Amino acid sequence: MDYSRRDRAERLAAEYALGTLRGAARRRFERLLPAHPALQDALNDWQLRLQALASPVQAVEPGARVWAAVQQRLFGAAPASWWQRLGLWQGFSAMAAVAALAMAVLIAQPTPVQPPLVIVMNSTPQGLEMIKTGFVASVSADGRALVLRPLDRVTLAEGRALELWAVPKAGAPRSLGLVATHSATTTVLRARLLQDTSAFAVSLEPAGGSPTGKPTGPIVSAGEV
Amino acid sequence: MNTSSPSGKAPSERSIEMAALMSRVALGDRQAFEALYRGSCAQLFGIVLRINGERAQAEEVLQEVFVTVWRAAATFDQRQGQVMTWLTSIARNRAIDSLRRRASEPATVSRYGTLGGTEDDDDDLLEQQASEDPGPLDLLDRASSRHALERCMDALTGEQRSSLALAYYQGFSHAEVALHLSQPLGTVKSWVRRGLQGLRACLDRAAGLVGNSDVGRAA
Repeated sequence: MDYSRRDRAERLAAEYALGTLRGAARRRFERLLPAHPALQDALNDWQLRLQALASPVQAVEPGARVWAAVQQRLFGAAPASWWQRLGLWQGFSAMAAVAALAMAVLIAQPTPVQPPLVIVMNSTPQGLEMIKTGFVASVSADGRALVLRPLDRVTLAEGRALELWAVPKAGAPRSLGLVATHSATTTVLRARLLQDTSAFAVSLEPAGGSPTGKPTGPIVSAGEV
Repeated sequence: MNTSSPSGKAPSERSIEMAALMSRVALGDRQAFEALYRGSCAQLFGIVLRINGERAQAEEVLQEVFVTVWRAAATFDQRQGQVMTWLTSIARNRAIDSLRRRASEPATVSRYGTLGGTEDDDDDLLEQQASEDPGPLDLLDRASSRHALERCMDALTGEQRSSLALAYYQGFSHAEVALHLSQPLGTVKSWVRRGLQGLRACLDRAAGLVGNSDVGRAA
């Protein structure tokens, strides 16, 4: 069969892109693609035409295990403990970046001498499933005050609380107290907030906070200092 | 759990962002890869889930999609098309392939009726059956009303429209569409073929008019 014939290539590409070319015919089409530019061009055109159909499909957040499995298969990395993985969670979040920038500008203006340190805390995969918001933490230059601001409204299930942690390079995280959910910001006043701190993280805990003094629930948001 | 797209940005802005990420992924940038995943996984998972409604299998499909994306990133040619179109194609292919793997199981007309097994799936079943869950024709309406596709879809017959929607959104084969519409296989095949022909003629005409091959993306 001559697959360079335009109408034939066209028909096969259309049925392939739509999904109705099945079984052995589908496999054969895929094997032929690399060697038949006419087929590939026809397919590209069809995929573009049909792309408009995909946009109204309801987006559904997949479970966090999907990303973990992708990494495992591609990079073979054994899942590290959550505070060692903080760097990975810094993945791109335009909203967070914009918010951070806006805050940095706002806060930097009155005290140009010593701007505070702004830390964008992105949602972890579990966090995206639970509270769907990141946070921005700004720490005063002297390391004695921290203001935590959620990027979006926080709604929590009854009997749950969010707890803020300072994560050292080594050793257990230190609790900085509960995140206020009734007001827009949480302020923490404490000496040496930045000493030995490599990241800040928010975990989901029972009401009243972690009973053990260490995070017991999933980390929902985290950002490196 | 259903969530809307993580970024409320206009498609054009989003596609520029995706293109930038994709060029970094092609160079082996893992952070860009994660960002690409975060920015597209929910949309792609929604597409996969419509075709293969079993959540555990759909998650495996999504996993394969991104393994493929990482490995094939260098072969993606930005000039050939948009990143999301490429990702959607891979996702739909993998989802259809996952149906092939279960071909030994009895063919089902309604995916929603085949969900179940684990507790998680039961929850999904309830979600899927909620009255607001749109059927393939509802989705087609939404796609049509927002895009240049509208006039072209209107130009098709109802049978052609239904056949295309069932094939595209549910991943139905000719035989499954025939079963679903209680029509002979040959009739359905011809509806699909003529539907595709009509769609192409009309879309390409529209593309010619606006001088832009990317008709689907209304600004």
